[in-house]
Amino acid sequence: MKRYLETGNFAITEGAILAGCRFFAGYPITPATELAEAMSSRLPQEGGIFIQGEDECAALHLCVGAALGGYKAMTATSGPGYILYADPYGWAIGSEIPVVILNSGRVGPVSGITGAPGQGEFYLTRYPTQGGNFETIVLAPNSAQEAMAMTVEAFYLSERFRTPVTVLADQLITDGFEDISVPESDGEMEEMGFRTWPRKINRGPEFYPAMDEIDVPPVVLGHNTGALCSDWTPTEEGYDIEQVQAHHKHAYRLIYKVRNHRSLFNHLYEKNFMDDDPDLVVVSYGTPSRVVNTAVKKARQSGLKVGAVRLINLWPFPDEHFRRKTKYLSVELNWDGQLVREVQRAAPKDSEVHFIGSCGDLPTVTDLIEAFERLLQGQSLARRGWELEEW
Amino acid sequence: MDNLSKKYLRPRKIPSTACSGCGLGMNHKAVVQAIYDLGLEVEDIVWGTSIGCAGRQTFGTWKGDGFAGTHGRVYAIARGLRLVLPPEKKIILTVGDGDAFGIGLLHLIHSARSNADFTVIVNDNLGYMSTGGQYGWTTPRGSKTDSSPYGMYEQNLMSDGMDVLGVLRNAGATFLARHVSMDGQRAVESIRKGIQNRGFSLIHMVYPCPTNFGSRELGTRDTVKIYNWIKKKAAPLGEEKENTLWATGIYYDASNSRREFSESIHRNIEKIRRTGTI
Repeated sequence: MKRYLETGNFAITEGAILAGCRFFAGYPITPATELAEAMSSRLPQEGGIFIQGEDECAALHLCVGAALGGYKAMTATSGPGYILYADPYGWAIGSEIPVVILNSGRVGPVSGITGAPGQGEFYLTRYPTQGGNFETIVLAPNSAQEAMAMTVEAFYLSERFRTPVTVLADQLITDGFEDISVPESDGEMEEMGFRTWPRKINRGPEFYPAMDEIDVPPVVLGHNTGALCSDWTPTEEGYDIEQVQAHHKHAYRLIYKVRNHRSLFNHLYEKNFMDDDPDLVVVSYGTPSRVVNTAVKKARQSGLKVGAVRLINLWPFPDEHFRRKTKYLSVELNWDGQLVREVQRAAPKDSEVHFIGSCGDLPTVTDLIEAFERLLQGQSLARRGWELEEW
Repeated sequence: MDNLSKKYLRPRKIPSTACSGCGLGMNHKAVVQAIYDLGLEVEDIVWGTSIGCAGRQTFGTWKGDGFAGTHGRVYAIARGLRLVLPPEKKIILTVGDGDAFGIGLLHLIHSARSNADFTVIVNDNLGYMSTGGQYGWTTPRGSKTDSSPYGMYEQNLMSDGMDVLGVLRNAGATFLARHVSMDGQRAVESIRKGIQNRGFSLIHMVYPCPTNFGSRELGTRDTVKIYNWIKKKAAPLGEEKENTLWATGIYYDASNSRREFSESIHRNIEKIRRTGTI
């Protein structure tokens, strides 16, 4: 194990290399540029390929092209680049191509503020492309070390599920310097819970088993297997077809291969002070969860019955954490409230679900504790201007 | 095409579902003939396609490995693939004019800029015909289409002294040719040279669409009329007449004169790996 004081971008780069990534295509964008820079320096040393795309749309297409040739590939961007992935993301979902995407959230909409953290792409990562009829897998770390782990995990899941996986970080995670341990052997990787999966090659004519199976090797071109893949609704051999029944099989597979095997990654969450059925459950992911954890710990010390659920696996949304009827508070780095909507949906009817948003700047521990107190006393948060009226 | 078909194409997809009288099959045959003339086998080629008439009708026709990209992006996918496939594998892309010169032009230019080794056959039916017939970036001035009911009056990549091949030449393409689908053996020769170039090659091949372009511009779906209309407007380079829209032949040949994209990247990676520098 080697220790560094380094950025999340460094940690993600090392994680990708540990996972077997040997292709990175990127396009400069704050705050993910340093990740591309690190890749441009590290990948050639490992015999890997770094390339700069003409835009983000090209960058992810370059990655899926490399993945089609049998490489583990990755790209990284921020919100304004993530939307340009819509084309290749959909292509990779439909053609079932494994690829890993990092999104370092900044302040939006559009270019917004480049150098401050935001969580505006919660729903965008669920629907990164058009058309629906699919599930996406999204992992959200809250530290540089965990960003490395989740990058490794993203490669693992993308291979097993034959689908793109997004790691949703934010500017503080990718740019911030932290204490990072990088494993140096397979044993150390195992010790740290890093799972890897080799690229397998689909050598048969069967492209879509039309069922929810995982561990189906993806199409890899260049081995003269007669493999086909395209952007159209496929037949079981990968031919294009305009037929509702064929599409139903395709859609079923894209949805249920993920839904029916959630047990592979639904352990990716963190719970604090949740054993005694707290009166208020604070929900968060990413960087804000670090403030939340501190605030909840302090609140407990002063006798408030508060617990915290931190989501790492964001999508498919883990409804199971919200079965109990209680008060929920979602803490997010946006002003419009995104995660809170999903908590509202998942929680039992008539549950009280509240929201505190900010963007570009983290909430303070003091503010959070005051909010906990108000909610536990049955008061609303609206007076402080934290909440939108309807929350 | 029988023998060529048997050797290289899938019976499930040939004959294609193209409209009656469509000229795309002539272009397709010229490509397969060129492959045959070069002595290449099914396993030597990975075949990519775009969307629209040209992409969809040629997707999955090649007996070997194949893929279809989203609108205009097949060039970027092909560049990624080029970097990881062995250099001896050829990549051929059959695409349409809207895909290559409209939505995909940025990616096409960067493929030329980097001199990525693949051969792009741009099958030009003079606009967006699979969507019913709208004008595109090579539609002749004055042509009536569903989105230019008064005649196409925009400046485009083939009007007012412009030539899309000139754009690509300046972008770094190392082999460029133009044909119409009736050019027969001359077109086959150009495609053959394009495939032999270890770098970015593009062959622009105009073909007749009786269903949409012909019916709107000429007022008839009569196949002979649209074939003759195109033929009259084409002439070999150097023999252009006043009404020539498409000067056919090899527009630019700098085959193997510049280092190929993938070769260049791999050479540098290898050197960095060995010495830590380039």
